[in-house]
Amino acid sequence: MTTVKIQYYAILREQTGISRETFTTDAKDAAALYEQLRNRYPFTLARTQLRVAIDGEFAEWSSILNDGAEVVFIPPVAGG
Amino acid sequence: MRAFAFSNTPLDLHALRASVEDRSCGGYVSFEGWVRDHNDGRVVERLEYEAFEALAIKEGDRIVAEAVQRFGVTQARCIHRVGLLELGQVAVWVGVSAPHRGEAFAACRYIIDEVKHRVPIWKKEYYVTGDSGWVNCERCAAAAHDHVGDHTHTHSLAHQADESSRASAANSADSVSRHPSGLPNADYSRQQILSEVGHVGQARLRNARVLVIGAGGLGVPVLSYLAGAGIGTLGVMDGDALEPSNLHRQTIYALADVGRAKALLASERLRALNPEVDVRPYVEQATLETLPGIAGGYDIIVDCTDNFTARFLINDVSVRLRKTAVLASVYQYEGQLQVVDEGSACLRCLWPDGTRDGTVGNCAEAGVLGPVPGVLGSLQALEVMKVILGIDSPARGGVILVDLRSLESRRLATRKELDCPQHCDAPSLTEATDLSIAVTLPTLDWTVLDVREMTEVAEQPLPCASVHVPLARLLDDPSQLPDGVRYLCVCSRGVRSLAAARALRRAGREAASLANGYPGSA
Repeated sequence: MTTVKIQYYAILREQTGISRETFTTDAKDAAALYEQLRNRYPFTLARTQLRVAIDGEFAEWSSILNDGAEVVFIPPVAGG
Repeated sequence: MRAFAFSNTPLDLHALRASVEDRSCGGYVSFEGWVRDHNDGRVVERLEYEAFEALAIKEGDRIVAEAVQRFGVTQARCIHRVGLLELGQVAVWVGVSAPHRGEAFAACRYIIDEVKHRVPIWKKEYYVTGDSGWVNCERCAAAAHDHVGDHTHTHSLAHQADESSRASAANSADSVSRHPSGLPNADYSRQQILSEVGHVGQARLRNARVLVIGAGGLGVPVLSYLAGAGIGTLGVMDGDALEPSNLHRQTIYALADVGRAKALLASERLRALNPEVDVRPYVEQATLETLPGIAGGYDIIVDCTDNFTARFLINDVSVRLRKTAVLASVYQYEGQLQVVDEGSACLRCLWPDGTRDGTVGNCAEAGVLGPVPGVLGSLQALEVMKVILGIDSPARGGVILVDLRSLESRRLATRKELDCPQHCDAPSLTEATDLSIAVTLPTLDWTVLDVREMTEVAEQPLPCASVHVPLARLLDDPSQLPDGVRYLCVCSRGVRSLAAARALRRAGREAASLANGYPGSA
């Protein structure tokens, strides 16, 4: 099991109702983590509509999660 | 003959009228401005007009061209007198001919209003008491001008403003340096004190050419700060007219401006803020047809639009033309800021196809508090100045996420992706144009694919049989849909359906998107 710190932005924050949480998971990579969270929260965005950043850098969905990693899920936004 | 000209001799109205005659026109509207015998409670004997002719003619030509383009009139001209004029003489003449009277009246009104407002002309009044005074009628009117209000009132306000500015000039003696027009010179001392600016930096700002696309929540602070900083050439591109719902976040406009083009309104305000800036309005949306030609004349492009289509177009054009782009967007209490140049990741590196359409709404859909785009727009203005002054910024090669509710910000580093279509050889700037089509529902020619959320479907059912797959589920695996069928993707505005159609085509399906969605924008 890995414990990660997750941050949500924009519509994801609205749908979780929180901007950050600490989460313990058996997901091996970022993709599996998001699919797990989709069962927990009413996300309307597919994984392909988002980017993930790990420890301050945009990352691939196949990136392995290390204990204590900071994971940010971020959709593009367009308001102006 | 020029569209706008000055004359130092009395105007021949008969000849002027003949110069706009046109057999295709059904009507002619003219306006004559006369020298009157009083102003602001003083009795006037005669007047003297003076203009910066080179600058004024350029601006006058621009105004007449705007009127022709905006109202579709056939012929339009404006002649302004300079020199000494007696009471009753014609000081300014505007003539417009058009197929129908409506546009002729509107264009004539537009030209005289804009000329009085924007063209640098000064008026010296000679009073019966023997003294005289320069009345910078047009320029000081900029602050008080009211296009729908009573004109006499407007002018009297303007003259009061002028009186008070002259009075304060007298009090402060020589502390304010003045232009021959009577206006103070622009003063950049507060920013020039900074070691990063100085005379060299100020010259760089003066030589810079910046195009701001979108004169809304982000664009207003960008434009205001850049005009204040003395950017030499400032383009303002926006095809929209002002709406009352804009004003809570677009604070240079007024309720009385509602209905007028924002690019023109913003230009007026900016010229009043700093007459040294060459402000160029473009009353049009950024499209593949309009943008490349305009952007070519600028060094930095600032994206202040509110939709992904425009945002990606600006990204693509900037990358193609090797311009630096300063991008920002907001969502409720959050914003994203990014500077794209040759060495850094572009928007397409960051958001590959399929990540963007229909995922997150604009201000109209998602809601926003006015200061949020205000903060992000201010950051954009600062980034533009950093680029010009050569100050490094973490917004290059990274995205800055700002959460204004918690007041936290963080930087996420980007990599210039090797497979970014913009950074290798993309075949075209945009996708196939037949992706979005106009069809009336119900239709027998297509299998209608509803990509809205379940709650939306319940609220506004489609008037025909349809397959329902919400966009997120569809994007999980577009190939789940059977082949051999023509899909017409439908959502409420035609944005999510575009993403769906694009994804289906990539999966080898035949698909299109219903333009503007159902029930459409009407």
